[in-house]
Order: sequence, then structure tokens, then C-alpha cells
Amino acid sequence: MRVILAIWAAKILVIIGKLVGKKGSSTPGSVALKICPDMLRILAKKVPEIAVICGTNGKTTTNNLLCAIMQASGRRVICNHIGANMLAGVACAFAVNADIFGRIHADFAAIEVDEFSAVKVFEHFKPNFMIITNLFRDQLDRYGEIDIAISRLQQAIDMAPNCKLVLNADDPLVAAFACDNSLEVHYFGVGERVFEDDAEDTGERVTDGLFCRKCGEKLKYEYIHYNQLGRFFCTKCGFCRPHADTEAQNVELRAEGGLAFDVWGARIDVNYRGFYNIYNILAAMSVASLSGATDVVQPPSEHTQDADSSKINLAPVTRALADYQPQIGRMQMYKIGGKEFIFNLSKNPAGFNQAIKTIGNDPESAVIIAINDNEQDGIDISWIWDVDFELLNAARVFACGTRRDDLRVRLKYAETAAVTMCATVRDALEAARRGGEARVYVLVNYTALFPTEKLLNEMARRRRNP
Amino acid sequence: MKIAHLYPELLNLYGDRGNILAMTKRLEWRGIDAEVVRVLDGDNVLFSDFDIVFLGGGSDREQEIVAQNLSRLRDSLSEYVEQNGVVLAICGGYQLLGEYYQMGDEQIEGLGILKVTTERGERRMIGNAAIKADFLDRPIVGFENHGGATRLNGHTPLGKVIFGHGNNGTDGAEGVRYKNVFGTYLHGPLLPKNPHFCDYILECANAELTPLDDAVELRANDYVQARYKPQK
Repeated sequence: MRVILAIWAAKILVIIGKLVGKKGSSTPGSVALKICPDMLRILAKKVPEIAVICGTNGKTTTNNLLCAIMQASGRRVICNHIGANMLAGVACAFAVNADIFGRIHADFAAIEVDEFSAVKVFEHFKPNFMIITNLFRDQLDRYGEIDIAISRLQQAIDMAPNCKLVLNADDPLVAAFACDNSLEVHYFGVGERVFEDDAEDTGERVTDGLFCRKCGEKLKYEYIHYNQLGRFFCTKCGFCRPHADTEAQNVELRAEGGLAFDVWGARIDVNYRGFYNIYNILAAMSVASLSGATDVVQPPSEHTQDADSSKINLAPVTRALADYQPQIGRMQMYKIGGKEFIFNLSKNPAGFNQAIKTIGNDPESAVIIAINDNEQDGIDISWIWDVDFELLNAARVFACGTRRDDLRVRLKYAETAAVTMCATVRDALEAARRGGEARVYVLVNYTALFPTEKLLNEMARRRRNP
Repeated sequence: MKIAHLYPELLNLYGDRGNILAMTKRLEWRGIDAEVVRVLDGDNVLFSDFDIVFLGGGSDREQEIVAQNLSRLRDSLSEYVEQNGVVLAICGGYQLLGEYYQMGDEQIEGLGILKVTTERGERRMIGNAAIKADFLDRPIVGFENHGGATRLNGHTPLGKVIFGHGNNGTDGAEGVRYKNVFGTYLHGPLLPKNPHFCDYILECANAELTPLDDAVELRANDYVQARYKPQK
């Protein structure tokens, strides 16, 4: 009975939240867990398979892609779509998917979980699959050094003895999770040199994970994709980039946007930007295949139960990828007054550097950057000095956010030309809209995400109905 | 000017790269050549070849690796310090210059170049901070994030805490100054927002400096002072 009460409470609070325009789902979730601390455990038990997605970057996109592929294969899926990834947000996702009698009609749950919440969440359910996307430094003042994230994830893994691990083969910090347990492990990765960087020369770039997690020796690389991701090997203990059963090859990154690669003998071609999206797609495909979503459905006849049964049915993947709409602020595209506005959440150095790499050399563009230092952003903004602003090449750059003065200093020392300070993101958007550049990139950190989305939506609406 | 950046692959938390950038750009903008030598683990260096030595902050695990590596270079560094060589050490690097860092039952041996000692405190000291050094008119601002509480044991602090925790959260002292050694918990990173302190350090290393336009840097310095000063 308490369960049903808790579900009702969560549902009502979500509706009230929507009415007053709040997007969060943590309050309904925590209220529900207060009413019935067992709610999540009871509801999760009713879902046959649960996949959990952890890692610093790419959680939300991977989670949504996995959900889309599973749905395209006909599964009913529970998913915490917008990224409420602490215990309360996870509880809320299950509660809103239950009916008012406490029944749940789902075949699968795709749940992203914050690295530091995994231990708490696993007290309520043990997942069948656990994806770890990557590990980068993020909000040191809130979470501490990357070593702490690693030990928390290890604790969580130790709690789930029947979980299949799905790990990024290219990230030595992630691949090392396979070493200390007897779990079934699957890997995804990009198995070829894509960028022409000198693998050994990490130069002034700042990267964690350069040292072997097993023996402490400095890792060597055949090639590096970005940060510590690449074909690594340790000359001391032999730890090396494992073979990936879901591996991308013949990668093509198109300058005008879009990317393509081979995997499982087929070609995947999508219109998203960003090399890192290859990892997101591979991770989602890996779990989808492990749970049988890409199996060829055999007619119940004895004749066809032969060699063909090992073939892969890619239809759910291609359908899901073609229809996929990026979540807010994931290289999201707006057309406003004949201009492209590309909106991206960039909240830690690795994510920011990937955004800069994706923008590439685009001297025709304007770039708006907003850096806030509210509690949810992390109050320490020193990480902006780990971002390679030196590689940014745009016609104009606008600095906004509460810490725009610090950003301005950073850009001065990167010797970025043509920087304008704006008190608000709105001012910057208006100035960029009036300017001569063909494209405007809008890179914001966390607490600027939803307000900026609102502004972009307003601008897009206004320009459509003048 | 020759700057030694010690163990940049291990000691690089909290935007330490910004400190190197601040020193090199502020030299280059004045037409002074700046060379940064990255000293990696296993490298042998003679500190007397350098004008400035920089030590950044790292995680506890990384700090242990550095402590082992640096112990081989201890004598060379100690001699450099006694002959008024310039050292800037931040956070973990600052702790390493002292005698030890006691973490519960475990003790990391420091270099013992300074008499300072550090013990893990009851809770981490995190937040924006400002201090006043008596050799500079303008306050030094930054961000501190440390679990260790440091005692100076007779040394002079770098500055007095205006707001923030400082060395240990109790005695109002922040950092250390000994000859031309500057140790501090302030990152943010430290030097870009404190151009006056950056130039002071460069001058200690005998650089002849012409004035620069620091309006942008000083505004960031003012902002931290104005926004985070506790309201009375």
C-alpha cells in the first residue's frame, strides 16, 4: 500500500512540477522514497532487464540511444531521459512508469547513474548490464580527484555479481575495471587511428589516466583519439587495450556535420556531430545486442534454424539512429533567421575540448561561452585552464556567465582575438544573431543549460512568426 | 628565463597549466624569452640551471609517486633554495616541501626543505579565498581545496587570510614565504588572476619588467574579492 501511495505522490509532484515549469525530478523521487523506502526495489524487480550507464561524459546520449534502439525492437522501456541520475531521479523514473495500481509494464530499463550514486542505487537493484563510457576529471570541488570516482565505481561493481560489464576499450581507466573481478565483460572501441596527433607527445595538454592503473607505469600509445583514449599498452605489466567485440573502423568525420563507420560488418551513417558520439552509439549497440534486441527473429520452422541464426538484425539500430533527436544541449541545432545556432553543454575539460575539436577551424563562426559557478556547476572554475582554448578559431567570441571575468582572462592568455564581454547570455545571443557570422556555437555549463534552451526556443519561435 | 615545471603529468590538478601560461606570456609580452622545461619522473636535473621552479598540486596517490621521485633531487633543490632560487609550490607541491604529510596511519615523507608539517584535517577546506601579503598592496585571490592542515612551525606565512581557511582554518595564516620560496594552497589558478604576484615572482628571479595593461586580470581579481567577501 505504501508503494502505491509513494507512486501517486511522485506522479502528482511531477505534474505539479510541470505546471510550475520545473524540470527536475529529484523532489518527487525523494518524497516517494520517504513514503516508501522500498519503492524502487519493488518496482525494479518487476522489470526483466536493467542496464545502467555510468561514466563522466556521454551518459545521457548513450542512455537515450539505447532506449531508442530497444523501443525500435519492440521493447517497452523505462528511461530517465533528461539525466536526473542520482538516486531520487532514478526512483522517479520508475514511479512515473508504474500505473496507479503499482503495476509496471516494461521489458527493459535504461538508466543513467551518476558515478557517485551508483553504490546507493545498487542497494535497490542490481543491473543486468553496466556501461562505463569514460572517466575524466569533473568538478573537483564536488567529487574530488578521479581516483575517488574509480573507487566508488569499483564498490558498485562489487555489489552486482551477475552484471555484464560493457566497457570502453580505448579508455585505460575504464578497461581496467575488468581486471579485478570475474564478471562477463564486453568492450566497445574505435580500432584505428583517426586523428593525426603524435601519440607520444601529450605536450601541455592536461590528461588524467596517463599512468597504468594496474602497475603505475606510464602508458604508451600506438595512437590517441583524445585525452587518455586510444590504443594503449603498458610496457611493464602488459596491460593493453583489449579486443573490442563492438568495434568501429573506417571512421569518416564529415566537416559539414555527420559521421560514418563500420561495425559488425555494416556501415552506420548518422547526421550527428562529434567523434565521441561513435562511442555513445557503440555502447548502446553493444547492450542492445546482449539483450537480444538485434537478434534475427526466426519464424518457428525447423528449416531456418541454421547458419542464419547468428546474423545480426540491424534494423532497430538504423531506425533508432535515423529518428534520434539529440537531448537538449547535445550539439543541438537551431535555425534562427537563416543562421545555424549549435547548442552544446560543455561542463568539464574533456567535454569542452571535444566541442572545440568538433567546431574545428570555423573562422566563419561566432562562439558564445557561458561559465557559471553555482553549486551544480562546481564552484571551482579553475578547470577552464585545462580547456584548449588555444585551438579555438572563430571570428568572434562572446564571454558570459557569472565567471565571465575569469573566462576573459583565460581567453587573453590563449591569445584569442575579438572577445566581447556580455552580462547575459541573452545579450550575447542577440549580438551574435545580428552579426555577420554564418554559424553560432553556444557552449554553456550546467546551470546555464535550461535558461539558454529557453532563450533559443523563444528566438526560434519569434523568427518563425514575425 | 628558464622555468622548470616539475612532474606536470602528475601534478596538474586545478588548472596548474594557467600558472605556467601566466609566467611565460607575461615574459613574452615584454619581449623576454621564456623556456619551460618539463621535468618528468626519472629525469635528472640541476636546479641551478633554472630561474624559477614550479611545483603544482596532485592527488594523494600521485603525490606519493612524486615524493619518491623528488627525494633523489632533494639536495640539489635544497641548495637552490638556500642560494635564493625562486620556487612556487601550490597545494600538493607546497605540502611536499615540508617535512611530512600525515594521513591517518600513513605518512608521506616530504623533502624537508621547509620545517612545515601537514596533517589530514577533520574536513576538507574548500572555497574561494583572499589573502593579504605584506609585500603586495593588492590582495591575492584564489580557490582552495585541501584536506591537509598545515603548520608553519616558525616560518613566515605568505599572507594573512582575509576570507577563506588558509593553512589550517584556525591561525589566520596562509601559505609560506621562505627566502624566494612561495608556497600556497591557493589555485584558481593562482597567477593569472594575480598579475601583481606573478610579476613579483618574476622580479625575484631578476626579470626586468616593463608595465603591462592588466585591466582584464585585475577585474577578475576584484570580482572574487567583491563576490565572496563574507557579508558582515
